Amino acid sequence: MTNEMPVPDPAPGAMAPPRARRVVLPPYRQRAARPRSVRAREWVRQNLIPSPAGVLLTIVTFVALASLLAIVAWFTFSYANWRVVTDNRWLLFAGGFPHDQEWRLWVGLGFVFLLVGASYGMWSSLGRRDVLFMVPAAAFGVFMLAHGGAALWSTLWFAGAVALLVAAYGVCRLVPREHGPARTLAVRVLSAVLVLSVPIVFLVLMAGGGADSDELSGYLLNLLLAPAGIVGGIFVGIPLAVGRASKLRAISWTCTFYIETVRGAPLIGWLFVALFILGDIMGGDLIVRTMVVLAVFTGAYMAEYIRGGLQALPRGQYEAGHAVGLPYWRTLQLIILPQALRISIPPIVGQAISLWKDTALISIILPLRELIGSSRSAIAQGEFITNRIEVYVFAAVMFWIVSFVMSRVSQRIERSLGVGER
Amino acid sequence: MATEQTANTADGATTSPTEDIIVVENIDKWFGDFQALDDVSLSIKEHEIVVVLGPSGSGKSTFIRCLNRLEEHDSGRIFVNGIELNDDVRNLNAIRSEIGMVFQQFNLFPHLSVMSNITLGPQKVRRMARQEAEALAMQLLERVGIPEQAEKYPAQLSGGQQQRVAIARALAMQPKIMLFDEPTSALDPEMIKEVLDVMRELAQSGMTMIVVTHEMGFAREVADRLVFFDEGAVVEQGTPTHFFENPQEERTKLFLSQIL
Repeated sequence: MTNEMPVPDPAPGAMAPPRARRVVLPPYRQRAARPRSVRAREWVRQNLIPSPAGVLLTIVTFVALASLLAIVAWFTFSYANWRVVTDNRWLLFAGGFPHDQEWRLWVGLGFVFLLVGASYGMWSSLGRRDVLFMVPAAAFGVFMLAHGGAALWSTLWFAGAVALLVAAYGVCRLVPREHGPARTLAVRVLSAVLVLSVPIVFLVLMAGGGADSDELSGYLLNLLLAPAGIVGGIFVGIPLAVGRASKLRAISWTCTFYIETVRGAPLIGWLFVALFILGDIMGGDLIVRTMVVLAVFTGAYMAEYIRGGLQALPRGQYEAGHAVGLPYWRTLQLIILPQALRISIPPIVGQAISLWKDTALISIILPLRELIGSSRSAIAQGEFITNRIEVYVFAAVMFWIVSFVMSRVSQRIERSLGVGER
Repeated sequence: MATEQTANTADGATTSPTEDIIVVENIDKWFGDFQALDDVSLSIKEHEIVVVLGPSGSGKSTFIRCLNRLEEHDSGRIFVNGIELNDDVRNLNAIRSEIGMVFQQFNLFPHLSVMSNITLGPQKVRRMARQEAEALAMQLLERVGIPEQAEKYPAQLSGGQQQRVAIARALAMQPKIMLFDEPTSALDPEMIKEVLDVMRELAQSGMTMIVVTHEMGFAREVADRLVFFDEGAVVEQGTPTHFFENPQEERTKLFLSQIL
């Protein structure tokens, strides 16, 4: 390494000449230049009355939508007795969580909101649609809290959590968008906190005289189990995917065996394993065992999605990594996995949403009472025995909210990682 | 079957004869039942520019891919810079950081900016500090004529620009040897020149280069030695003058008549 790098000469003729471009508006921009009323008329003609058959379809769709809306409105504002939900809000959200430790729930929620705000601020920005979702969601939260005793305090706690979200968003927006030492540091800190967020929330809820593990129930339990299963599943899935693609037969067969075995039986079967077999073998806390099983189960699916991403990469990427002098593992870490994981984001999020809803299964077989289990307890009270539809509609909405957020976040991640797509 | 004409190599070389930096001894390479390389031997001197020619499927790409062990040879021996290429991983990593490679399909890292593509190797393999690596990268981007593209991503560049970034990426490891595997074959015609210009400049700077190409003009002008492959073996080699004016082998003549 002595003489090979002479002072560079400018390469002859290598500078690209600047290109002159004539500005021509694309058709949609030309249309946008016309008055609003004309555009509205055109929109209606194109989208609602394109042809006789189209008119018919438009009418049918409008009638169907209007009837559906009417039924929903009638149910929500006239038929339903929401007291079954508001009176039981502690049971539904927190189940057996000790009342005198309520502050822990709010601190935990504040922490989660802070992470949401910080992540939005760091990697994305709040658009109109996000606000359109968040405002009704917050209003729904206030509605849930503004009934019964101690309503003022819980509303204040909730407002505090929302304020944290906004503040974290604002602070993280101040971090420069371009790559640089400041951004690198901020991204590392936030990523580390995100990866550790599940244990941190557990600490907040349980450490130092907080709740016992058998007191974690209700919606809170879903919110704890699903992230543990998803994050754990990704960490189980990455080595499995790499292992299955390995040239060493012993490793690839072991990984394949694991994946096929786990995927070959339904989740409910594996939950039985957590309840009985794992209980006998390793004992320990039922919630921990359940989280292990969820991670192990999800990991097998994640592995297959990540393997799909690995296979989508051309061999040249490995070769280029090697040719630069990176050893196999470094090539994997720096070149292959970042690209493979990006390709796998949509199915990974699909699996995450699926697992989120599967947490409802837990109450069927395990003595853990997540939201559906708590709903059944709520109905079992004599007073509300006729209000089961309200409770289950409420539970469905609660599941939907998180699923919706996940799918939105996935779209955001895809778009922001789209930079430099081949 | 191969006619070795090593005697012809020295007389046309423009650089002073020095030690052989690459020594290939009797290597064979099989892909299943297909023999891609058949008893190939070749020595390359420091600062020498060797252009490898041959019809498609003749084993020329396989040959230069063996030189940094992207393909493993089945028998025979390869020495690079005095170190033998074998299963020893430490040897392998030592050799790979001495050899830069440029691929037909560029193989830039699409998730990294041009700057990061170039600084990755120096930072992670050479443990160079970031500022230093970035300064080096800018220097190299200027050398290949596209310093203004540093912050873009590969997909935002034209094919010719991508290939020039790939050359800069390889040079960033400050290699002693550069391998080019059909560097212009995936390019639109109007972009071939800009890449060849960079390679020409590199050749003048004294880099040891092994180039697989179909660009006969480049071969004639820049090469110290031409090596003609067919059916996995070296059929003929010699200076450009020897090769283009006075080829000895029938297969060489046939190939040249088809391609010129």
